[in-house]
Amino acid sequence: MRYFLTLAFLATLAVSMTASAQDWKVDYRKSQIAFIIKQMNVPVEGGFSRYTVNAAFDAAKPEMGIFQVELDISSINTGSEEGDGEAKRPAWFDTARYPKARFVSKSIKRNNAGSYTVTGDLTLKGRTRPLSVPVVMTQQRGGGWLVSGRAVMKRSQFDIGGGEWADPSVVADDLEARFKILLNP
Amino acid sequence: MRNRYSLPLIGLHWLTLLLIITAYVLATILEDMTLSPLKLKLYSWHKWVGMSVLFLLPLRLLFRFVDRFDHRIELTMFEVKASAAMHGVLYLLLIAVPMFGWLHSSAAGFPIVWFGVLPMPDLVGKDKALAEVFKELHEGSVNLLVVLVVLHAAAALYHHHIRRDGVLARMVPGLGKKQPK
Repeated sequence: MRYFLTLAFLATLAVSMTASAQDWKVDYRKSQIAFIIKQMNVPVEGGFSRYTVNAAFDAAKPEMGIFQVELDISSINTGSEEGDGEAKRPAWFDTARYPKARFVSKSIKRNNAGSYTVTGDLTLKGRTRPLSVPVVMTQQRGGGWLVSGRAVMKRSQFDIGGGEWADPSVVADDLEARFKILLNP
Repeated sequence: MRNRYSLPLIGLHWLTLLLIITAYVLATILEDMTLSPLKLKLYSWHKWVGMSVLFLLPLRLLFRFVDRFDHRIELTMFEVKASAAMHGVLYLLLIAVPMFGWLHSSAAGFPIVWFGVLPMPDLVGKDKALAEVFKELHEGSVNLLVVLVVLHAAAALYHHHIRRDGVLARMVPGLGKKQPK
């Protein structure tokens, strides 16, 4: 609880600090948060259908921007019904105790035109780990941005899929998150 | 004159049977399992074994075409036609059953990586409704295959025990003709 208060405080602070950066509206119909994880060395695609994104970003001052993503874990799609059921159980995401996952950016660095590195904290199943994500920002006609990228992480870092599922030769430890978020002015 | 098929052809015939039985038994076990790491492993083995049946078939047909053994000896005209039709349908099903399984895997979004090494291309895009159709076709075609394999075996046993000719012995090295009554 103390952790969450701190997080909330930091997030509020970050948002207030970046009040000058423009806030964007997310077009969820054209946005996607997906993941790819190998099962028996077979890449299987899944995703989340419910999530909220708060984005403040100004290309002129990218370091002042902030990205916050909150995932509704129960909206997970693992590619099969039995997989969806299994993913919510305690060995995996334990949605009863940890219904949400969050990413809160701490810094945004511009690498070159349109390419940024967003670093922040990812909280999954109550465990917070630093995550650095290479992000491509593509300006849209009408002034919006398409934010896309991939992040590689290990499920073991978040104790996702423990016990009998820990064996990485069945379900790989590495997984890749893929996202595209359409921001409209 | 040789009175049996070539050894590679005989080997591939019995290997195919062994693979089909293995895949069928795995599928039967899988149907009743809840999701577990073991289920994912068995599912993969089912797919790997099934794909092996498909991959072995061209090799088998090749050996059959280069084998100069005349399978018509000891057969009546009707039996030549009936066995040719039966073998043709069996070969078609040995293609169709794994192909429908492969199509089902592609449509379901769970592609096949043969023995965890060789990624098989997706034949169709991810589509739940289509996956159901291919699942039905996979099950329907394998049921037909099982029925025809039983008929095929019954015909072979009929030749061996009733007709007492060398038809079964062609596929079973070391098995002689039964003495005529």
